[in-house]
Amino acid sequence: MNRLEIENLSFRYGREGFENQVLKNINFSMGDESVGLIGANGVGKSTLLKLLTGLLDIQEGIVRIAGLEMKKENLKKIRAEIGYVFQDSDSQLFMSTVYEDVAFAPRNYGKSEEETERLVLKALEQVHMEGRRERQIYRLSGGEKKLASIATVLAMEAGLMLLDEPSVALDPRNRRNLIQVLNELPKAKLIASHDLDFVYDTCQRVVLLSDGGIAADGETEAVLTNQELLEAHGLELPLSFSRRNSIMGQ
Amino acid sequence: MNRISEAISDLHKMDMEAGKNGWLQGIHPLPKLFITILFILLTVSFGKYELSGLLKMGVYLIVAFVFGDISIKQLLKRMKLILGLVCLVGIWNPFFDREIVFILGKLTVTGGMISMVTLMVKGVYAVSASYLLMVTTPMEDLCYSLRRIGVPKTFVTILMLVYRYIIVLLKETERMTDAYMLRAPKQKGLHYKVWGTMIGQLLLRSMDRAQTVYDSMTLRGYNGEFHLRCKKAAGHGDYLYVVGWSAALLIVRIW
Amino acid sequence: MHMADALVSPAVAGTMYAVSAGTAAYAVKKIKLEDLDKKVPLMGVMGAFVFASQMINFTIPGTGSSGHLCGGMLLSAILGPHAGFLTMIAILAIQCLMFADGGLLALGCNVWNMAFYGCFVGGGLIWHVMTGKKMTKGRITAASIIGCMLSLQLGAFSVTVETMISGITELPFSVFLSVMQPIHLAIGLVEGLITAAVLVFVYEARPETLFGYQPAFGNAGSMSRKKTVALLAVAAILIGGAVSLFASGNPDGLEWSMEKVAGTAELSANGMIYRMAEKLQGLTALLPDYGFQTSESAAGTSFSGIAGGLIVLAVCLLVCLAIKRLKHTGADKGNIGNEQN
Repeated sequence: MNRLEIENLSFRYGREGFENQVLKNINFSMGDESVGLIGANGVGKSTLLKLLTGLLDIQEGIVRIAGLEMKKENLKKIRAEIGYVFQDSDSQLFMSTVYEDVAFAPRNYGKSEEETERLVLKALEQVHMEGRRERQIYRLSGGEKKLASIATVLAMEAGLMLLDEPSVALDPRNRRNLIQVLNELPKAKLIASHDLDFVYDTCQRVVLLSDGGIAADGETEAVLTNQELLEAHGLELPLSFSRRNSIMGQ
Repeated sequence: MNRISEAISDLHKMDMEAGKNGWLQGIHPLPKLFITILFILLTVSFGKYELSGLLKMGVYLIVAFVFGDISIKQLLKRMKLILGLVCLVGIWNPFFDREIVFILGKLTVTGGMISMVTLMVKGVYAVSASYLLMVTTPMEDLCYSLRRIGVPKTFVTILMLVYRYIIVLLKETERMTDAYMLRAPKQKGLHYKVWGTMIGQLLLRSMDRAQTVYDSMTLRGYNGEFHLRCKKAAGHGDYLYVVGWSAALLIVRIW
Repeated sequence: MHMADALVSPAVAGTMYAVSAGTAAYAVKKIKLEDLDKKVPLMGVMGAFVFASQMINFTIPGTGSSGHLCGGMLLSAILGPHAGFLTMIAILAIQCLMFADGGLLALGCNVWNMAFYGCFVGGGLIWHVMTGKKMTKGRITAASIIGCMLSLQLGAFSVTVETMISGITELPFSVFLSVMQPIHLAIGLVEGLITAAVLVFVYEARPETLFGYQPAFGNAGSMSRKKTVALLAVAAILIGGAVSLFASGNPDGLEWSMEKVAGTAELSANGMIYRMAEKLQGLTALLPDYGFQTSESAAGTSFSGIAGGLIVLAVCLLVCLAIKRLKHTGADKGNIGNEQN
């Protein structure tokens, strides 16, 4: 089953006369795989993610998640199927302690307290944060906050994870740790990022968004090593390649 | 700005204390809230000359502070704020009430002096009792107690969110004012020309953050209530705590 | 100005709790249910914002001192008076619990003195009257200044009344009032100016976030500077006039600071203060201080009673420390025993 299907999706901001067409005729689907959504700043990555969660209303086209079409009456079921990891962890984590925050979604979906506890512990284990369960959020480091954010979403047991710029503001060690955690998760993931090295390490497939449309869609290796393609759309080769090239060039 | 970093560190210290494994921390939050309110209520119910009875109420504080291993230093810091006001009001009593109560050697003690000291003792006791509650009870447990005694969920939710975002915004404010002060080294505060822009920017950013918080809540099935759990069930010790202290405090009050 | 627990009697505290809780229950009801879910996160984060911004010192031009932002007025201008009121209560509760600013028992008084007047009078009534039909920079400025000054005056008046009814000070009512009101007039003006600066910025950047803003306002002509100044002058005269009814015409009123008394706490100074107080009292016959004096007498207090109280405390402290010490050494011995095993 396809986790996500997008057909002819278009979106524009603003009133008539002052429109800003952000997305044009997007067609795309994904199954249980890890997909990187790349593109320069302001290309519409975040807009696309917001459309997939129903935070923005669809104007044109169809979005299906786990076979359900994105409509008002399906919204509740769809939202239980997606886990959205925000760029800013401090906004995502609004409860006072890690445990309370991770338990927020299961409790709202009517799980019993025992079931909630089981889900919370499992989620924290998956991101290696068992030791931090009673910690206040504000005492976590940036990397721990990101992992806690991922745990809040894991506790929902949603089928599809959406991550918005997960590697921003992480130091190298936390970044490596995050890559490892994400690769251990057997889940469908759509990772929006302009950190191409991060995408290279976490995704099998890459979708390149440019000028409101999909400029490329293919295997990570093929897309991210195509220097011409990347530069034509405002991106650069991942650092690891460009360095390798320059060394080989010498 | 000193005040901001100081506030952040105060909140840190409080949370650290409340998270400790002492016996007071182990008591259910509801009994602690009840005894704290009872203690303050009884303390302020003493008449303005009933200093002798009032002093004995301190037994509760001494027992709690000694056995609870609670730092007096932090408490004294907090006293500053409230004692200033209490003194400001109380300092006048000796001038207006000059009825002689007793003479101790060369010192003539008047009614006004007694009532001034009574007022200050009340201030010290009340602040100590609230401090004791906060330093042994995490905020989320306190919110749980408030919910249990019938405070509306809307209000408890707001309280939790304000508490959660105070540190986030204090840090943001600190960064902003630091950046300002580094470029305006001779000023003690914000110049009036930037009042609107700086605080306004912070306000708009906070509103955007609130939107993201709301999104994050709805995406995780928010339906109008923060469900809270209490980490500990009430046991015999908790009942004993309520009954014991209630009785003790009432006896001291009447005696 | 936060009331402390020590300054209120249980009866006053209880009454004010009841009044404030009643108002809060009304406010919860008034915010529409569908609106509420969306507003709750905004209220939470805005509450934290006000808390943080009240820590900032604003330099007041021409003086060495600094002022702070008026939370109630600002919150109501953005969230509306009902949501603003609930948010202010949360802020006051946290200030009292975490920073000992105010007290658990006096919270009801503080909610009334600061949140009620700030949100319903300043941010509700004044804001609505001034900007309800037309919103311009001038009107926002005028509303902020008048709203802050008025709500602070009412708050200061309430502090005085509550302290008096609680019967904990010997200070005559009129004297207390004549110190409180003028000081808060100055504070109100400063808070009003700061609040105005912030709200005007918001109006220019994102007017739709202001409470009661309608898109039609966008075309409304702005109020002329002259009109704004005139309006402010009228407001200042009105508020000033109301205050001077309470406060004496004596310019020394403000200089009546604590240091002056504390520095010269001799009998002669006492006499002078006493006479001054009496004079002030005579000048302000509007609210005579009858009924505020409690009928208790000091006769019941004796030196031995107080000494007895102190001894009880000392014995208690010693016993507690001794028990703790015994427990500690006992525990240590136990540990040593275990290790040997």
